[in-house]
Amino acid sequence: MTTEAHTAQPEYRWRMPADWWARQRHYFLYVVREFTALPLALWLLWLLVEIKRAGDGPGRYAPHGSMPFVVFSVVVLLFALYHSYTFLSLAGTILHFKVFDRPVPSRLIVLSQFGLWAAASVVVGFALIWFAR
Amino acid sequence: MHLFWWFMFAQGGVIAAVLIPVHVLVQGILGPLGIVPVVDRHYDTWVSMLGNPIVKLYLLVLIAFPFFHFAHRLRYLLVDLGLPAAKGVPAQALFYGGAVGVTLVTIWVLLTTIPISLG
Repeated sequence: MTTEAHTAQPEYRWRMPADWWARQRHYFLYVVREFTALPLALWLLWLLVEIKRAGDGPGRYAPHGSMPFVVFSVVVLLFALYHSYTFLSLAGTILHFKVFDRPVPSRLIVLSQFGLWAAASVVVGFALIWFAR
Repeated sequence: MHLFWWFMFAQGGVIAAVLIPVHVLVQGILGPLGIVPVVDRHYDTWVSMLGNPIVKLYLLVLIAFPFFHFAHRLRYLLVDLGLPAAKGVPAQALFYGGAVGVTLVTIWVLLTTIPISLG
Protein backbone atom coordinates (compact mmCIF):
# COMPACT_ATOMS: atom_id res chain seq x y z
CA MET A 1 0.00 0.00 0.00
CA THR A 2 1.39 3.42 -0.92
CA THR A 3 1.62 6.41 1.39
CA GLU A 4 -0.94 8.15 -0.81
CA ALA A 5 -3.44 5.39 -0.13
CA HIS A 6 -2.83 5.78 3.61
CA THR A 7 -3.40 9.54 3.66
CA ALA A 8 -6.28 9.77 1.18
CA GLN A 9 -9.67 10.41 2.74
CA PRO A 10 -11.92 7.39 2.25
CA GLU A 11 -15.06 8.14 0.29
CA TYR A 12 -18.17 6.52 1.65
CA ARG A 13 -20.99 6.03 -0.75
CA TRP A 14 -24.63 6.12 0.25
CA ARG A 15 -25.74 2.50 0.35
CA MET A 16 -29.06 2.71 2.17
CA PRO A 17 -32.26 2.13 0.18
CA ALA A 18 -34.37 5.26 -0.19
CA ASP A 19 -37.16 3.83 1.93
CA TRP A 20 -34.98 2.57 4.82
CA TRP A 21 -36.91 4.69 7.30
CA ALA A 22 -40.22 3.03 6.37
CA ARG A 23 -38.92 -0.50 6.89
CA GLN A 24 -38.89 -0.61 10.68
CA ARG A 25 -41.05 1.08 13.29
CA HIS A 26 -37.97 2.35 15.19
CA TYR A 27 -36.52 3.94 12.07
CA PHE A 28 -39.84 5.57 11.28
CA LEU A 29 -40.20 6.98 14.80
CA TYR A 30 -36.61 8.26 14.63
CA VAL A 31 -37.40 10.15 11.42
CA VAL A 32 -40.63 11.51 12.94
CA ARG A 33 -38.64 12.67 15.98
CA GLU A 34 -36.17 14.54 13.81
CA PHE A 35 -38.95 15.89 11.58
CA THR A 36 -40.74 17.49 14.56
CA ALA A 37 -38.32 20.40 14.09
CA LEU A 38 -40.08 21.56 10.93
CA PRO A 39 -43.67 22.08 12.21
CA LEU A 40 -42.35 23.58 15.45
CA ALA A 41 -40.20 26.03 13.47
CA LEU A 42 -43.20 27.02 11.34
CA TRP A 43 -45.33 27.63 14.42
CA LEU A 44 -42.65 29.80 16.05
CA LEU A 45 -42.43 31.83 12.84
CA TRP A 46 -46.19 32.32 13.09
CA LEU A 47 -45.70 33.56 16.68
CA LEU A 48 -43.10 36.01 15.41
CA VAL A 49 -45.62 37.27 12.83
CA GLU A 50 -48.24 37.62 15.59
CA ILE A 51 -45.78 39.76 17.56
CA LYS A 52 -45.00 41.87 14.48
CA ARG A 53 -48.72 42.39 13.79
CA ALA A 54 -49.08 44.09 17.16
CA GLY A 55 -47.26 46.99 15.51
CA ASP A 56 -50.17 47.46 13.08
CA GLY A 57 -52.10 49.45 15.67
CA PRO A 58 -55.40 48.79 17.47
CA GLY A 59 -57.55 49.35 14.39
CA ARG A 60 -55.77 46.86 12.13
CA TYR A 61 -54.67 44.21 14.64
CA ALA A 62 -56.48 40.92 14.04
CA PRO A 63 -55.06 37.77 15.65
CA HIS A 64 -55.11 34.49 13.74
CA GLY A 65 -58.21 32.51 14.62
CA SER A 66 -59.31 30.65 11.53
CA MET A 67 -60.18 26.95 11.65
CA PRO A 68 -57.26 25.99 9.33
CA PHE A 69 -54.93 27.70 11.81
CA VAL A 70 -56.46 25.76 14.72
CA VAL A 71 -56.08 22.49 12.78
CA PHE A 72 -52.47 23.42 11.99
CA SER A 73 -51.88 24.10 15.69
CA VAL A 74 -53.39 20.73 16.67
CA VAL A 75 -50.99 18.97 14.27
CA VAL A 76 -48.07 21.03 15.60
CA LEU A 77 -49.10 20.21 19.18
CA LEU A 78 -48.86 16.47 18.45
CA PHE A 79 -45.35 16.93 17.05
CA ALA A 80 -44.46 19.22 19.98
CA LEU A 81 -45.60 16.63 22.54
CA TYR A 82 -43.61 13.94 20.75
CA HIS A 83 -40.50 16.14 20.76
CA SER A 84 -40.98 16.85 24.48
CA TYR A 85 -41.51 13.20 25.37
CA THR A 86 -38.53 11.90 23.39
CA PHE A 87 -36.16 14.75 24.29
CA LEU A 88 -36.90 14.80 28.03
CA SER A 89 -36.77 10.99 28.20
CA LEU A 90 -33.17 11.18 26.98
CA ALA A 91 -32.18 13.21 30.04
CA GLY A 92 -31.59 10.06 32.09
CA THR A 93 -29.02 8.89 29.57
CA ILE A 94 -27.30 12.23 29.02
CA LEU A 95 -27.27 13.78 32.49
CA HIS A 96 -25.29 12.24 35.33
CA PHE A 97 -25.23 13.74 38.82
CA LYS A 98 -23.89 12.68 42.15
CA VAL A 99 -25.44 13.64 45.49
CA PHE A 100 -23.37 12.80 48.56
CA ASP A 101 -21.06 10.74 46.30
CA ARG A 102 -23.98 8.64 45.12
CA PRO A 103 -25.18 8.75 41.52
CA VAL A 104 -28.73 10.04 41.10
CA PRO A 105 -30.86 7.31 39.46
CA SER A 106 -31.64 8.06 35.81
CA ARG A 107 -35.37 7.56 36.45
CA LEU A 108 -35.28 10.36 39.01
CA ILE A 109 -33.52 12.66 36.52
CA VAL A 110 -36.14 11.92 33.84
CA LEU A 111 -38.90 12.47 36.39
CA SER A 112 -37.42 15.85 37.33
CA GLN A 113 -37.36 16.87 33.66
CA PHE A 114 -41.01 15.96 33.21
CA GLY A 115 -41.77 17.81 36.45
CA LEU A 116 -39.99 20.87 35.08
CA TRP A 117 -42.06 20.60 31.89
CA ALA A 118 -45.32 20.38 33.88
CA ALA A 119 -44.41 23.30 36.14
CA ALA A 120 -43.31 25.51 33.22
CA SER A 121 -46.50 24.67 31.33
CA VAL A 122 -48.68 25.66 34.30
CA VAL A 123 -46.80 28.94 34.88
CA VAL A 124 -46.74 29.97 31.18
CA GLY A 125 -50.33 28.87 30.58
CA PHE A 126 -51.47 30.77 33.65
CA ALA A 127 -49.62 33.92 32.53
CA LEU A 128 -51.04 33.76 28.98
CA ILE A 129 -54.57 33.51 30.36
CA TRP A 130 -54.30 35.70 33.50
CA PHE A 131 -52.85 38.72 31.69
CA ALA A 132 -55.67 38.55 29.12
CA ARG A 133 -58.07 39.82 31.78
CA MET B 1 -16.85 27.06 18.63
CA HIS B 2 -17.94 23.43 18.43
CA LEU B 3 -18.93 23.63 22.10
CA PHE B 4 -21.05 26.74 21.37
CA TRP B 5 -23.13 24.95 18.69
CA TRP B 6 -23.66 21.95 20.96
CA PHE B 7 -24.73 24.25 23.78
CA MET B 8 -27.23 25.99 21.48
CA PHE B 9 -28.48 22.61 20.18
CA ALA B 10 -29.03 21.24 23.69
CA GLN B 11 -30.58 24.40 25.15
CA GLY B 12 -32.78 24.82 22.09
CA GLY B 13 -34.01 21.26 22.54
CA VAL B 14 -34.81 21.81 26.21
CA ILE B 15 -36.62 25.10 25.56
CA ALA B 16 -38.61 23.58 22.69
CA ALA B 17 -39.56 20.59 24.86
CA VAL B 18 -40.51 22.53 27.98
CA LEU B 19 -42.12 25.70 26.59
CA ILE B 20 -43.52 25.24 23.08
CA PRO B 21 -46.40 22.78 23.78
CA VAL B 22 -48.18 25.12 26.20
CA HIS B 23 -47.87 28.06 23.79
CA VAL B 24 -49.30 25.99 20.93
CA LEU B 25 -52.12 24.68 23.13
CA VAL B 26 -53.11 28.04 24.61
CA GLN B 27 -52.32 30.49 21.78
CA GLY B 28 -52.93 28.16 18.86
CA ILE B 29 -55.98 26.17 19.99
CA LEU B 30 -57.74 27.30 23.20
CA GLY B 31 -57.53 31.03 22.44
CA PRO B 32 -58.71 30.93 18.81
CA LEU B 33 -61.57 28.58 19.78
CA GLY B 34 -62.65 31.02 22.50
CA ILE B 35 -62.36 28.43 25.27
CA VAL B 36 -60.17 30.69 27.43
CA PRO B 37 -59.18 34.36 27.16
CA VAL B 38 -55.62 34.59 25.85
CA VAL B 39 -53.33 37.58 25.97
CA ASP B 40 -52.72 37.84 22.21
CA ARG B 41 -56.45 37.79 21.29
CA HIS B 42 -56.82 41.48 22.21
CA TYR B 43 -54.63 44.33 21.08
CA ASP B 44 -54.41 46.08 24.47
CA THR B 45 -53.36 43.06 26.49
CA TRP B 46 -50.95 41.84 23.79
CA VAL B 47 -49.23 45.22 23.47
CA SER B 48 -49.08 45.60 27.24
CA MET B 49 -47.35 42.24 27.55
CA LEU B 50 -45.00 42.81 24.59
CA GLY B 51 -43.77 46.05 26.12
CA ASN B 52 -42.42 44.26 29.18
CA PRO B 53 -38.62 43.82 28.84
CA ILE B 54 -38.70 40.46 30.65
CA VAL B 55 -41.34 39.20 28.21
CA LYS B 56 -39.21 40.43 25.30
CA LEU B 57 -36.23 38.51 26.64
CA TYR B 58 -38.40 35.44 27.21
CA LEU B 59 -39.78 35.59 23.65
CA LEU B 60 -36.27 35.95 22.26
CA VAL B 61 -35.18 32.81 24.12
CA LEU B 62 -38.40 30.96 23.19
CA ILE B 63 -38.09 31.70 19.47
CA ALA B 64 -34.35 31.96 18.79
CA PHE B 65 -32.81 29.06 20.77
CA PRO B 66 -34.98 26.28 19.31
CA PHE B 67 -33.97 27.26 15.78
CA PHE B 68 -30.38 26.19 16.49
CA HIS B 69 -31.76 22.83 17.59
CA PHE B 70 -34.05 22.60 14.56
CA ALA B 71 -31.22 23.53 12.17
CA HIS B 72 -29.05 20.67 13.43
CA ARG B 73 -31.87 18.12 13.41
CA LEU B 74 -33.14 18.97 9.95
CA ARG B 75 -29.63 19.05 8.46
CA TYR B 76 -28.84 15.57 9.75
CA LEU B 77 -32.30 14.32 8.78
CA LEU B 78 -31.45 15.26 5.19
CA VAL B 79 -28.14 13.41 5.52
CA ASP B 80 -29.95 10.34 6.84
CA LEU B 81 -32.48 10.50 4.02
CA GLY B 82 -29.69 10.26 1.46
CA LEU B 83 -28.52 13.82 0.90
CA PRO B 84 -24.82 13.81 1.89
CA ALA B 85 -24.46 17.37 0.59
CA ALA B 86 -26.26 18.44 3.77
CA LYS B 87 -23.01 17.66 5.62
CA GLY B 88 -21.08 20.22 3.60
CA VAL B 89 -20.06 23.73 4.53
CA PRO B 90 -22.69 25.42 2.29
CA ALA B 91 -25.46 23.44 4.03
CA GLN B 92 -23.99 24.31 7.44
CA ALA B 93 -23.93 27.97 6.47
CA LEU B 94 -27.53 27.74 5.24
CA PHE B 95 -28.97 25.98 8.29
CA TYR B 96 -26.99 27.58 11.11
CA GLY B 97 -26.92 30.89 9.26
CA GLY B 98 -30.69 30.58 9.04
CA ALA B 99 -30.88 30.13 12.81
CA VAL B 100 -28.69 33.21 13.29
CA GLY B 101 -30.91 35.05 10.80
CA VAL B 102 -34.07 34.14 12.72
CA THR B 103 -32.38 35.31 15.93
CA LEU B 104 -31.51 38.69 14.39
CA VAL B 105 -35.00 39.12 12.92
CA THR B 106 -36.54 38.24 16.31
CA ILE B 107 -34.37 40.82 18.08
CA TRP B 108 -35.35 43.39 15.44
CA VAL B 109 -39.08 42.61 15.74
CA LEU B 110 -38.99 42.68 19.55
CA LEU B 111 -37.11 45.99 19.66
CA THR B 112 -39.03 47.82 16.93
CA THR B 113 -42.64 46.57 17.17
CA ILE B 114 -43.65 47.70 20.66
CA PRO B 115 -41.44 50.06 22.71
CA ILE B 116 -40.10 48.82 26.03
CA SER B 117 -42.37 49.87 28.87
CA LEU B 118 -41.31 49.64 32.51
CA GLY B 119 -44.68 50.75 33.85
